[in-house]
Amino acid sequence: MSSVLSIENVNFSYNYESPILEGINLKVPSGQFLTLLGSSGSGKSTLLRLISGLQRPTSGNISWGDKEITGPGIERGIVFQDYALFPWFSVVDNIALAIGKVKKGASKKERRKEAEEYLLKVGLQDAIGKYPFELSGGMRQRAAIARALALGSPLLLMDEPFGALDTVNRARLQDLVLDLHQKSSAKQTIIFVTHDIDEALYLGDRTIILGSSPGRVIADVVTPITGNRNRSAVFESGEFRGLRESISEKLSAEILTQLANV
Amino acid sequence: MSNLQTTTPIEAINNGALLKVGEFIREHQSRFLVLFINVIQRSLIWILLLGSWFIAAAYFPLGDNPLIPSPIQVSVALWNALPELWLGTISSFYILIPGFFLATILGIILGITVGTSKALEKGVIPFARVASPIPPTVYIPYAIAILPTFRLSAIFVVFIGAFWPIFQNTVAGANSLEGRYRDNAKILGLTRFEYHYKVVFPGSLPHIFSGMAVGLGFSFILLTVAELFGANSGLGRFVQYYADFADYPKMVAGIIYVGFVTFLSMSALDFVRSRALFWQR
Repeated sequence: MSSVLSIENVNFSYNYESPILEGINLKVPSGQFLTLLGSSGSGKSTLLRLISGLQRPTSGNISWGDKEITGPGIERGIVFQDYALFPWFSVVDNIALAIGKVKKGASKKERRKEAEEYLLKVGLQDAIGKYPFELSGGMRQRAAIARALALGSPLLLMDEPFGALDTVNRARLQDLVLDLHQKSSAKQTIIFVTHDIDEALYLGDRTIILGSSPGRVIADVVTPITGNRNRSAVFESGEFRGLRESISEKLSAEILTQLANV
Repeated sequence: MSNLQTTTPIEAINNGALLKVGEFIREHQSRFLVLFINVIQRSLIWILLLGSWFIAAAYFPLGDNPLIPSPIQVSVALWNALPELWLGTISSFYILIPGFFLATILGIILGITVGTSKALEKGVIPFARVASPIPPTVYIPYAIAILPTFRLSAIFVVFIGAFWPIFQNTVAGANSLEGRYRDNAKILGLTRFEYHYKVVFPGSLPHIFSGMAVGLGFSFILLTVAELFGANSGLGRFVQYYADFADYPKMVAGIIYVGFVTFLSMSALDFVRSRALFWQR
């Protein structure tokens, strides 16, 4: 079942004076890896929350397929930057909890076993039996990704998941997510929020740039780097550099306009 | 002249042993020193208090003041009173344990229920603010009139004293739960019961334990009052009884013993806390 995520004329504000998001119109085809790029305060995390259903837009409509999104659910899993797992449960139990929501009849043993398989998929065979506080930041985020996978959400939302990690771990996890996206049989639609231009261009099939105050779409770029994931080749290619330049310019122009308006 | 020193076999063995001990002390010197300083730091106040007590009893006219019996008198009284004190402990715990545990269970359940519902909070918290400072001793006549036994009224007084801090701290804990945990629970589609039991309760445990520590302290304080009417024996009653009879060595012995029991109880609570909060760094 391939569903299109459609965001129609969405506005959002906490009070009526300063709108956070204005006039967002967007269609995301099924299976696309979309990156949302923007400076801090551009409302990109807010947009993600609206898509997940944790919050409702002030006006406008967000639908998945033909059904309007009215609340959160396992069909729209989120990986946050932090507090992704419950610290009082072991990593396995955290994932087993998610599995129990997808396979309602499964026994404790079955859930545990499947949870361990997901941990293997993200390279966490050493984390079996451990608690989140015993893991490093990179391992915790892997576990959060494993839990999101276990939910089997057709739409996966990621809110700056690698923002708190060091460069090496970030690179590894980016490749992990790309790998999982490409290998999944039922292609997941992924929406990935970041403020890092390189990350946005490297990961996304398509990158959308959000301006700030109010947040609105200022650019919608298809990134033609799909398929080639040799990092050094990608980052050095003229194509990538050119794209990076133009996006950098757009973001700087946006920031300057902001400062001028203040 | 020979450079060799001739030693007997026994001397050789002794020298060897001494060398080993000397080595050991030298290696662990810093550790012993640190340990020693640590112990002195922790005991300093006790050493000062006990020291002043001995001095006061022995050298000052105060030594004749019956209110400050000498440490020796108190030790003798304590030793003699141990059987009575032990029975008193059991009697006190017959009131303390039901009261405190009932307060804990109700405090946590109600605290989580109210703390997770904005509507309930608005209705209940203003009432709690007014009701919680009321000294539980005020309820004594009502408790005696309504409840079938004196012991139950005593338990009720202890219960009230421990309930409010546990309840209010649990509400605070439920309130201060990280937003992300709530988001995660919503996305996972946890039922209300699952959310309360698997997320709010563990997440509020740090606050809950703070409330329990305060509640336990109040319980001990109220125990004294509660036993005046609620029991024929008990630790609070022991201290009060001998104070009334001006048997100060026994009274002070009782005070010291009660202090010790309170200390053990608080330590037990602390131990449970550190095991339950293993996931907190």
